Amino acid sequence: MTAINNDCQYISKNKISFTFDGKIYSAYDGDTVASALLRNNVRLVGRSFKYHRPRGIYTCGIEEPNALVQIISEHNEPNTRATIKRVYDGMEIISQNRWPSLRHDFGAINNILSPIFSAGFYYKTFMGPKGFWKNLYEPLIRRSAGLGKPPKNFRSKSTHQYHNTDVVIIGAGLSGLAAAKKFINTKYKVLLIEQDCYLGGILKNSNKVKTINELTPQEWISETEELILNSKNITILKNTLVTTYNFTNHLIALEDKFAGKKIELNKSELTLHKIRTSNTIITNGHIERFISFRNNDLPGVMLASSFEKYIHRYGVVPEKEPVIFTNNSSSLSLLKKLISLGCKPKAYIDSRKKDNIETEIKKILKDNDISFFSDAEIEGCDGNKKIETITIRQGKSFTKLKSSMLCVSGGYNPDIHLFTQSKGLVKWDKNILSFKPDTPFQKTITLGSTSGNYNFKKLCDEINEKLSILKTKKVSLDINLNVPNKFSINELWETKKKNNSNWSKSFIDLHNDVTIKDLKQAITEGFDRIEHLKRYTTNSMGTDQGKISSINSLAIVSKMLKKEISEVGTTTYRPPYAPLSFAAIAGRSTYEFYDPERKTSIHSWHLKNNAVFEDVGQWKRPWYFKASENETMYQAVQRESKMLRENAGILDGSTLGKIEIKGRDALEFMNLMYTNAFSKMKAMTSRYAMMLGEDGMIKDDGIICKISDQHFIATTTSSGAPKVLADMEEYLQTEWPHLQVFLNSITEQFSTFNISGPKTREIMMKVFPDIDFSNDAFPFMTFKNFDYKETKIRIMRASFTGELGYEIYIPPKFGLKLWEEIFSCGKEYNLIPYGTETMHLLRAEKGYIVIGQETDGTVTPIDLNYNWMIGKNKKDFIGKRSLSRPDTSREDRKQLVGLSPINKKDIIEEGQHIVELNELPKKITNPIKYLGHVSSGYHSPNLNHSIGLAMIKGGKNLLGQKFFVTATGKTKNIPVEIVKPVFIDPENKRLTS
Amino acid sequence: MILIKCPYCGYRDQSEFTSGGEAHVIRPKNPQSLSDKDWGEYVFYRNNPKGIFYERWVHSHGCKKWFNVVRNTATDQILKVYKVNEKRPDLSEFENTLKSPSGEPLVGSGNFAVKK
Repeated sequence: MTAINNDCQYISKNKISFTFDGKIYSAYDGDTVASALLRNNVRLVGRSFKYHRPRGIYTCGIEEPNALVQIISEHNEPNTRATIKRVYDGMEIISQNRWPSLRHDFGAINNILSPIFSAGFYYKTFMGPKGFWKNLYEPLIRRSAGLGKPPKNFRSKSTHQYHNTDVVIIGAGLSGLAAAKKFINTKYKVLLIEQDCYLGGILKNSNKVKTINELTPQEWISETEELILNSKNITILKNTLVTTYNFTNHLIALEDKFAGKKIELNKSELTLHKIRTSNTIITNGHIERFISFRNNDLPGVMLASSFEKYIHRYGVVPEKEPVIFTNNSSSLSLLKKLISLGCKPKAYIDSRKKDNIETEIKKILKDNDISFFSDAEIEGCDGNKKIETITIRQGKSFTKLKSSMLCVSGGYNPDIHLFTQSKGLVKWDKNILSFKPDTPFQKTITLGSTSGNYNFKKLCDEINEKLSILKTKKVSLDINLNVPNKFSINELWETKKKNNSNWSKSFIDLHNDVTIKDLKQAITEGFDRIEHLKRYTTNSMGTDQGKISSINSLAIVSKMLKKEISEVGTTTYRPPYAPLSFAAIAGRSTYEFYDPERKTSIHSWHLKNNAVFEDVGQWKRPWYFKASENETMYQAVQRESKMLRENAGILDGSTLGKIEIKGRDALEFMNLMYTNAFSKMKAMTSRYAMMLGEDGMIKDDGIICKISDQHFIATTTSSGAPKVLADMEEYLQTEWPHLQVFLNSITEQFSTFNISGPKTREIMMKVFPDIDFSNDAFPFMTFKNFDYKETKIRIMRASFTGELGYEIYIPPKFGLKLWEEIFSCGKEYNLIPYGTETMHLLRAEKGYIVIGQETDGTVTPIDLNYNWMIGKNKKDFIGKRSLSRPDTSREDRKQLVGLSPINKKDIIEEGQHIVELNELPKKITNPIKYLGHVSSGYHSPNLNHSIGLAMIKGGKNLLGQKFFVTATGKTKNIPVEIVKPVFIDPENKRLTS
Repeated sequence: MILIKCPYCGYRDQSEFTSGGEAHVIRPKNPQSLSDKDWGEYVFYRNNPKGIFYERWVHSHGCKKWFNVVRNTATDQILKVYKVNEKRPDLSEFENTLKSPSGEPLVGSGNFAVKK
């Protein structure tokens, strides 16, 4: 039965109620889920990861391996540690990994089958047949093994906050507060971070300290907190956990803004603090570890200091008559507290020899008539979903006791997690039997139990000495204790089982259900390096990261390997220290804030005219326009393509990247950046140009407008614009700093319309009656500037469809108005808007390539037969030398060709392979010879059959030959003829009409 | 996230910068005169040492300026930052800097976090 500690000052008297697995319980404001459940005598709270064994509350903090619950009232938040999550009125909680209920879990059959589920079981068992892993094993394993279910309908409003400080103190326990005191009213900007909502650490969680400077611990905490709050240079962050210690003293901490309160939907529930500091002081204390014995996972087993914390911090005595099992001197304070509350432990088992046990302990046990077993250990415990009997071994004799709770203390580990994350070195300390910090890598100071100093009397000197490198005040601590000042411990990691059975288990990792037998087996199978062993057995890989057990496993493994523990070493500690919500990491970068959407000035018109959009980089571009509700994409694209070649169409090309290149050496720079020769090019003309990498591969293409030798405008692909500008800038700064050239992105300074089709000239003449659009006055690939109404426009004669076409550039402010004007003028000529898909179809008919579709970073201009674009007489340009590399001059490189189906009804699909076989064999025994792939495939409404562009090995020499194209879901291939990659108007008559 | 001192803007978070690989690889003045092997060396081969490395960075979300950095790739410590037109610092300047966080061998890595 539980009891109450009325002295506890951290729990309010406000009663609240919450539900666990549908049942209503009452608790006090300030309780955690775990303390509230213990208050209500609930011991069974979850099922284990692999064997579905019943589990209870093992600890009272961040280190909890068992008591993970799902919070239904918080968007179904899974895997919440009951030991730190605070309850509030109306909270709904359920247990995890059980079906149909916590008491009767079908998955518990895994426990009976456990002899076959040993280490490496998944790796060895689920090998075949093919496809079984994906379709059967994985879904099955995921359903039965695991944790909670993912959250639903959750829209996080987490935020990030940045700090730049001089000193960060991690943990506001005794050492943290004493350290902070030294900085009061100094010149240092200090951040004191505490994971709990109260300061004090061990002072509030136990009665180990009797008095400090003649004050009670509580009085000393209040006094210190007030001094800190009054000091303007120190900020305290409560409910905040430091999870990460990166390079250059960069820390990440997570603050729970709604600890103990119901989340409000319109407020940020978590804040991720990103802290840059000059000095880090780690005072986050120690974590108690367990001892492995038979059934050391039964509900009712709890760490002794956690039991103590429930009494002091939450006012709950989880059990009036527990059994205490220890191997060290620290359990004295628990014993004293229980006696003072009128509770009487059933037995006290100490693995130390009688002579080594403190006289005070022996006296208390004798005075209160408590069964005492020295030089003894727990062999194991038994019971159905809870502890019922406990077996004690003393020498050769066994004693059975009836009890429902067992407090275990296996010693303390300095919490070195953050210190090792910072790349500090640790070393083994034989006095405390644990690793402690040795050489820091950054400006890191560890104090108190984190540094391995378990001697309270030496704490003051340690703090004053280690902080003497900073200009701080002297503190004095006069500490009186309830425990022996000298920490004494006896080495004990596991106890021996009485009988060997396949079903009895001593756990080394409670979270992932790893037993000592698994460790032995892994070593037998050759996984004798600690990092391998960890991954093979999943030891210490759970959400708790083996906080109470990882050092135990190192010790046990070192004994099995007959090595020193320092030779075995630790596994690598990586961030985060404790689970971190993805919502907190994402912060405000979610949904519409994740990646900005870029819209053109015509966007509203597109919406009104039933455009379906496509994402191109960050841009929203019309993909196609629906003429009616039921029109499919295929129908729309066929209609748009046909209409354009018959009449005219207009495309919103505003998204095309535009870069302005100006300066004394602009011409020389352009000649170096692009393959084309610009020297002889006349002013006010334009040219299709290509940019290569130094490896000779095509990076980007676009039209270059030459205004003068000192002024160019380059267009780029819509998504390539930032990269092209960055590349130009890089060459200017690093390779050719002598060139006087200035670059400017002008993509958003213009709305751009591409209007093309046989009736374009008539429409243009109607929109701009003052301009002469005749072939002589305005030939292909020239451009001119005009005054238009209250603004200026630039018109260029160019085309990406193969038809007569113009590009209009106008400031975006006037874009929509002109667009609408063009439509009202174009109505009588059946002008249509078209989207990117129709643009792609039309350019494929004409054999124009698209970067990223025909090219993939392995294609040179020669592969595309674009030799005419290469300025051969230029001395140099980026990638020129690479065009004559042995690899780029190979004859059998993949080259661009056109494909025409021999049977005109066949459809050529994009991405299909080109092969020599008319039919694929039913069973493939030898690799099938691969010739190339279809890079673009469309049904051409203008030719009335399917067409394709393809990259084929040695394609230039294969014109007129017959090959086959594979088809989705069929073994019969499509016969095609290799043709020139131009299907419409090969003489360019339409283009120049 | 390391802290980088942009020579033009001062200390900024790593997320504002983009790494540009090895520094002091100069584009040949006359590529056409190079053998395939020499040109291949320039285009495709870069050093990737464990230890002192001269590398280029650009303050891409800031002033957009390129500059050079001497960084120890084993410790991630930035030992020197200098402008593109400044002289390459001599290796001897960094002789007395920390070789690695945990004293592991020059080649390869492993679990050497525990001091013996």
